[in-house]
Amino acid sequence: MFAWFGLTEWTGIISGARFPSPTETWNSFKIIAMQGYGNGRLYQHILQSVVLVTSGFLVSSSLGILLGILMGANKKIEAFVNPIFLTLRPIPPLAWIPLAIVWLGLGNSAKIMVIYVAAFVPAVINTFTGVRSIEVPQKEAAAMLGISRFAYYREVLIPGALPLIFTGLRLSLQASWTTLVAAELVGATLGLGSILNQAAQDINPAMILVGMMSVAISGWLMTQLLAKAERYAMPWRV
Amino acid sequence: MADIVFESVERSFKQGGKEFLAVGGINLTVKDKEFVAIVGPSGCGKTTCMRMVAGLEMPSKGRVLVGGKEVKGPGPDRAVVFQQFALFPWKTVQENIEFGLKSLSMSSEEKKQKTARLISLMGLEGYERAYPHQLSGGMQQRVAIARAYVLEPEVLLMDEPFGALDAQTRVVMQEELVRLARKNPKTVLFITHAVEEAVYLADRVIVMSRRPGLIRDVIEIKPIREREGWDQYSRIEDVMDLSSFVQLRSQIWKLLREQNLGVDH
Amino acid sequence: MSKLDRLNQGEYILWTGLGLASFIGFWYLSVGLGLVPKQFLPAPHDVVLRFIHLMNEPFSGYTLLAHITSSFQRFLYGFILAVVIGIPLGLLMALSKYANQLITPFFESIRFVAPIAWVPFAALWFGTGIGGPVLVIFMGAFPPVLINTYRGAIHVDKKYLEAAKMLGAGKLRLMTEVLFPAAIPSIIAGLRISAGLGWQSLVGAELIVASSGVGYMMVKGQASIQTDIVMSGMIAIGLIGLFIDILLRQAEKLAVHYKET
Repeated sequence: MFAWFGLTEWTGIISGARFPSPTETWNSFKIIAMQGYGNGRLYQHILQSVVLVTSGFLVSSSLGILLGILMGANKKIEAFVNPIFLTLRPIPPLAWIPLAIVWLGLGNSAKIMVIYVAAFVPAVINTFTGVRSIEVPQKEAAAMLGISRFAYYREVLIPGALPLIFTGLRLSLQASWTTLVAAELVGATLGLGSILNQAAQDINPAMILVGMMSVAISGWLMTQLLAKAERYAMPWRV
Repeated sequence: MADIVFESVERSFKQGGKEFLAVGGINLTVKDKEFVAIVGPSGCGKTTCMRMVAGLEMPSKGRVLVGGKEVKGPGPDRAVVFQQFALFPWKTVQENIEFGLKSLSMSSEEKKQKTARLISLMGLEGYERAYPHQLSGGMQQRVAIARAYVLEPEVLLMDEPFGALDAQTRVVMQEELVRLARKNPKTVLFITHAVEEAVYLADRVIVMSRRPGLIRDVIEIKPIREREGWDQYSRIEDVMDLSSFVQLRSQIWKLLREQNLGVDH
Repeated sequence: MSKLDRLNQGEYILWTGLGLASFIGFWYLSVGLGLVPKQFLPAPHDVVLRFIHLMNEPFSGYTLLAHITSSFQRFLYGFILAVVIGIPLGLLMALSKYANQLITPFFESIRFVAPIAWVPFAALWFGTGIGGPVLVIFMGAFPPVLINTYRGAIHVDKKYLEAAKMLGAGKLRLMTEVLFPAAIPSIIAGLRISAGLGWQSLVGAELIVASSGVGYMMVKGQASIQTDIVMSGMIAIGLIGLFIDILLRQAEKLAVHYKET
């Protein structure tokens, strides 16, 4: 922190055109929070981004978890889905943006599509690994106890896979968040990414910084929420 | 002159908020080129004492001096042979042995010579390019000893060096060590809980008490060994049959038994 | 229960083949039924043809090959920079508490910013020059390298450090001859993550601030609604990403050869 103040404000070694000083940043923050910038006030931008991420993330990762469970439990399904997966997996979610824009235009739907792609893959992979990681003895014990298939899923499979499922969720969330910001940077009128875009065009470094910090903090908060959910879902873990 | 002097050395630890004394006041002198073994019950602090000479730990009170100078940190003048070998798995046998030489100033010719000499001395010919995981426990410990010896240290510190080996290999290593020690004597501090090993190898055996570690007794071996001519026997089992050996062994065992009466840790 | 069933080799291949066939079949079906205009969803063979075409015929100024080279070059600069700074720094932080305390606050405050968010600053400072994408890639690739190097070095068994110190090794030798080799598995794992993130960041950066490169090509393709070009770009990106990962996996195997039994 010291370095920041020191380098920019006090000694002016780094001029404001290159990197904003703390007071400039604070001023920009006040502007965007109170008066608005780039079509909205700060909370509106945050809300827009968060809503998009959350809805995309929840739907997509749920589907991903479902597929992961099916693939983990049934080898035929795994073999069937694998080739599609392997071809699509190396393509980074961001690379879907142009395609999404072609198919769905510049609105929110394109962004949601990309978030879907981004959140889907980690969820599937980690859930799949999680299901497969349940040790054979436990499976055999369950078979021996003769419980119904439904109970098996509920009592053995899912709890056993939960740790990795949550790892997948964390990665999905991260991916969703990154992808959304990128998508908004490319073309959006509202949302945290759009702040960055607008600020870049206006050559307003202080606003850029405000945007970046907002991205970081929002992302961090959402990750914390997820961590809480994780602790709630797995009370047996230290 | 490489003697070791412990001056009222104490070592205490903090664990869980409480302080406890691992080593009580130790006063001890190991003479130059003397082979001293320290035996004692588990946790009596004998390894801690060695580590303080090595400079891997510092006394809480008192001083440890080697050659008249206070020990401030580890160094090649006090070479250590660890119980778990601590060979670098990513280096070959040759590279492991050479490692310490790099910090000493001598020509690379000399370094090669010294390394080669030690490799043949420890019976490691042919294994120069092998990696530690490819060697048996005994071979690995040989490399560890070679690595220490090649430094031509003033002081050799050995922390239960044969503890991780099987019984037969252990015997072979003990015989080898005795040969080395008689031929090329150094100041040695040898930690072990095997009484027979101590009596066989050392000039003097120090018996330590339970925590807090204090010197319980000092047993002179050398005069008896020389008088009874142990060195004429090349096999360890012949020496261990001698009544003089048996007597010393019993004496030390008795002292250790006294330690072990009482509450078990 | 189906959980305990095993698939033999033949069955596995059968189902894999079925999956692949279904995917391609479904694609062709969508194209054939004319649900979507040809412009939006080209047939698979069209995409492949276009891909091959682009290798030699320029689009938006360069051939696909040239675009790929340009992208890969940027990636390499950013990645290598991250590695060259990240590994020594990570080792140093593991060895020296001062270094750790000094650097950690800086690092932690920067770490949570998605690399993409650096694009505006990159544009500001570097325009469309090569510095921009390299900065973004660096911001993506650097954290995993640093973290994994640090973690790997911290968990090195103390006995190796003690032995090395006893043998007279100074800080530099401790870092290069003990910490580094011991931490290599962790470091390489970090490199793989780092390469993945770096490559992703590159794509993102090129979508916004570039005048060449695969991402740029895709944007241009999108603008002129030439979906086959966009898809070609996606394929290229995927292939290269795969290639990088395979390379690193080989490096991983090589690095731990001394552990083989």
